[in-house]
Parts: sequence; structure tokens; C-alpha cells
Amino acid sequence: MKTAQLMKRDFDGDSADSPARTEASVTLLPVGATLAPRAEPQPKPAPTHGGALLAWTRRQAGDWAMAAVSIGLVLLAWYLATRFKLDFYIRFNNIPTPADVLDKVVEANRSAKFITNIGISVRRILLGFAIASVLGMGLGVLIGRYRRVRQLCMPALEVFRPIPAIAWVPMSIMLWPSNEVSIVFITFIGAFFPILLNTVHGVEAIDPVLLRAARSLGAKERSLLAHVVLPGALPHIFTGLAVGMGVAWVSLIAAEMISGQFGIGYFTWEAYSLISYAEIALGMITIGVLGLLCSGAIRMVARMTMPWLAFSAGGKKS
Amino acid sequence: MTLHAPLQTPAASRGHIEVRNLGIRFDTRHGRLDAVDDVSIHVQPGEFVSLIGPSGCGKSTLLNVVAGFLDPTSGETLLDGRPIDGPGSDRGVVFQQYSLFPWMTVRKNVEFGLKMQGLSPSERETQARTLLGLAGLLSFENHYPDQLSGGMKQRVGIVRALATSPQVLLMDEPFGALDSQTRVVMQEILTNMWQRLRLSVLFITHDIDEAVFLSDRVYVMTSRPGRIKSEMVVPLPRPRTPEMTASPQFAAMVRTIRSLIREESLAAMGGELGDGGLAGLSTEIGPQGMSAVI
Repeated sequence: MKTAQLMKRDFDGDSADSPARTEASVTLLPVGATLAPRAEPQPKPAPTHGGALLAWTRRQAGDWAMAAVSIGLVLLAWYLATRFKLDFYIRFNNIPTPADVLDKVVEANRSAKFITNIGISVRRILLGFAIASVLGMGLGVLIGRYRRVRQLCMPALEVFRPIPAIAWVPMSIMLWPSNEVSIVFITFIGAFFPILLNTVHGVEAIDPVLLRAARSLGAKERSLLAHVVLPGALPHIFTGLAVGMGVAWVSLIAAEMISGQFGIGYFTWEAYSLISYAEIALGMITIGVLGLLCSGAIRMVARMTMPWLAFSAGGKKS
Repeated sequence: MTLHAPLQTPAASRGHIEVRNLGIRFDTRHGRLDAVDDVSIHVQPGEFVSLIGPSGCGKSTLLNVVAGFLDPTSGETLLDGRPIDGPGSDRGVVFQQYSLFPWMTVRKNVEFGLKMQGLSPSERETQARTLLGLAGLLSFENHYPDQLSGGMKQRVGIVRALATSPQVLLMDEPFGALDSQTRVVMQEILTNMWQRLRLSVLFITHDIDEAVFLSDRVYVMTSRPGRIKSEMVVPLPRPRTPEMTASPQFAAMVRTIRSLIREESLAAMGGELGDGGLAGLSTEIGPQGMSAVI
């Protein structure tokens, strides 16, 4: 197919095509044109500032309104189901109403215990996630870039990868000197593999022409890693970080429920043991909000770190 | 029009490319593949030389060897008498796919080579801005490549390759991805730029008009394995202007090259049909095949 096109272009245009083209090119090009700017279309002329801002505000307002409706509907369903003690295979008899939980929120925020539990969970997440990020990205770049490292590391990693972080709980308690460290370890395990594998994939997906271009401009291996491989893999790395953060929360809550002292997962499980229904719901909602904040933070960092994605073909996600 | 300092090269003394008896062979799953066979070419300092041939004739492979991306199977490549060993900033490369770093602004792209040379940020910025100014791209210095049109991207690509003051510019079908109008404009920009810089250029293309318009000399390659079929000096005077493409000399030269390449393309296609398509067809409908099926 390609050959046919080339043939057509190269060999057909003898009679009808080329005089027209030559003429066109003469009229198009003033003689003595230099490197001077051409009247090329300015890419994406921005609308006036006021108009853009207005449109943006309107779009944002629409988003917020729909978000309020979305959450409002859930609250309404929850309220109705608990108010009328819906009992239709799923039972809402013992489920607290939104108002009960709201009371609990006010009460819990006054208690040091609840706040401490949140603080401890957040610390575990940040610690486990930070270690997973550093190791996952570092090892991922090496594995993606060097065949020998890949050959050495991947078989072992592939064996550990299918083991869910929660399955590490008993082993982790035996391995690590304190309960606290073992929970951080489980959080780390949860975040590590998504970050690692996405980084490897990101490094492998870099256009080899970019590496050639960099080397022809005098880049040696170290600069190549810092200025081409790492930024080139960033979009994939951030995918890994977002997924890793989600899995880290799953792992953390499970670990806290099974082996924990303190932490928001422990708080929720303890509430169940103490038959404090409103606190169960409060714990769940808190976990949801914390997870949302964490993934939102990653998205924000991603946008700030990779401003160019706003202009790339596939980068305009609304 | 004066040359600006970062672009000044001691032309006519450096930038001599010599390729001697070059052979490139790939080991593929289906056995060995001779991409280039016994090719000898040279580019004099300050000369513009094009390499033209049917698709798949190994012309890009040849350029990759001169760029240092690929080691040849046999023969040698020399730059100013020294064997080429890996890529380096003495040879600027312009690729068909632009190959700008999408995460860097236009100016950071141009600064990259200077950064690798260890220039300070302020020196880099000054030089990059001067070059972008010459190319008429200064107002786009803070744009990202994805915000630019194809022609602008490739101008940035050329400016980036020139930023380190290379002795040689290697261009691998640099305008192949552009529409024909933009392409003609880019050809003229390039010839004007070359007129001022006088650096050695090795230019790969399959566009005959482009090769004749731009070059001092044109090598025509055979289809695979790529050999030099013919070498021609372009008789057009310098500096080149678009009017010259209407001259009888230009037309005659284009016609000659076209017929040379047509021979090669037909040979290549005939070979493909003979080896693969037709042979396969005849065995399939042979009498033995039929009886076996029935």
C-alpha cells in the first residue's frame, strides 16, 4: 500500500501535476525568504480572558451542581431506607440514619481518640506510599532501561506480585519487630507493585527516536535517565501512583482491622465489636474521604508536574 | 545578513564525511537481511548531498550509521578523518517524526544540547533565544511542541540540531510528514539557511524534486540491498530560488532520476511478487495440491 502511494507520487505527476505545483510554489514563496516568520496559523488562539473565565466558571458550576445532586441522591436513599427500616433481603433495621452519623461526626471531632486514629492511618499511608514510590520508580526505571536488571529482577518479582498485600499480614507480623512497622510494610506492598510495573511500562514505551535525538545532542546515560527517560515515563508513573495509592488504602485498612492497634480501620472494626453502629458508618465515610483526598492530591501533583499534557492529543480528559 | 556567533562554523575545513565500502546486515527471524551493500559516499565540507532511493533501500539505515546510532557490519565511516564511534553533538540530526521532547518548551528543547555541553543557564537562554529569533520562533519559545503545527515543529527540530554548532547536519526525510505546501516552504527555508551557514548536509529523501532543488550532489540508491546506482551533480546555480524548479535543467535532472528510481522500484516489486506472491499461488493450485484436498 505504501509502495503504491510512493510510486504514484513519484512517477505519476509528470504531466498534469507538476506545472501546477511549480506555479503554486512560485506564487507562494517570495524570493529571498529567510528564516523570517511565516504567516503560519497561530495555534489555538485563546478567547478573550473574560469570556474564557466566564465559560470556565459556568462549566465548574455545572460540575459542582451535578456532584451535589449525585451525593444528595445517595443521602436521600440512605435516609429513606433507614427512616422506614427497609427490610427486603438487605436489612436496614440496625443501620444508623444520616442524622445519627452526623451527630457522631460532631462528637468524634471533639474526641482526641478519633483524630489520633486518623493521624496514625495517614502517617502509615504516607510512609508506606513514600517508600513504595521511591523503590518502585527507581527499580522500575532500571528494569525498564537495562535488560540485565530486568532478567535478574523480574522473575522474582513476578512470584511475589500475585500475592495480595493482605496475605502478607501473618508473615509481616512475624518478620517485623513491631506491629507498626508491619502495617507500614503491608501498605508498602500494596502500593509497590502498581508503581513498579507502570514505571517499567512507561520507560519501555518511550519513543526510541527521542533517545536517539538526545544522544545526538550529546546526552550521556545519566542525562538520558534524568532528562528523557524519567520525564518520558512520567504519565505512566502517575498512573501507577494513583493505582498504588488506592491499593495502599485497601491494604492499610485490612491490616488495621486484622492486626491493628489504632488507625481508622481499627476504629471501624472496634465500632463493630462494640455494636456502635453510627461509628461503623463514620469510619467508612472517613476512609472514603481520606482516599478521595489522597487521589485528588496525586492528580493535582500530576497536573503541576506535567503541564505539557494539557496540549497533547490524548491528554484532554475532562 | 551576518552570521551569529553560535552558528559560526569554520566551514570549508571541517565536516567531511567519508563512508567507505559500507555494509549493513541485520539478523532477522527469517535469516540475514542485507540492508546496505558496499556503499561508498562522501560529503565535502560545506556541501549539500542528498541520498535518494526507493522505499526500503536502506538510505535511513545508512544515515543512522553516520549518526552513530548503528554499527556497520563492514566498512568504515569517517568524520574529518576520524572513525565515527557513537552519536555526538558534532553531528546534528533532524528526524522525520520531529522528535522534540514533549515535556520541554520550545526554548528548553533548543537549550538541551547546550545544557549537555555544560553551558550555564543564562548562556543557554541567550543562545537559544537568538537562534529562535533567527528562525522566527521567538514568540513561541514558551509553547510546548504539541501546541505547534508540523512545519513549526520541524523548524524547532532544525534549530535544536544547529544549536550546538555541529559540523554536519544529518536529515532523515525531515519534511516527509508535512503536507506538500508546508514542505515547499520548508525546503526554501532550509536552502536559505544552508546558504548562510555552509555546513555539510547529508539529506535523505524519496522526493526527487526536493533532492534536486536542495542539493549540490545527489546519490541514487538501488533497491535492497542498497547500493549506489548513480551519482549526479546538480547543475543549478546558487543561491537556489523557487523559480529554478521551472527551468529545463531542473526538469531534465528530475526526469533522469525518476527513470532511475522507477527501474529500481519495479525491480523490487517484481522480486517481491516472484519470491512470495506468485510462487505461493502456483503451488497452491498445483495438481498435487488439488488431489490432496479432494
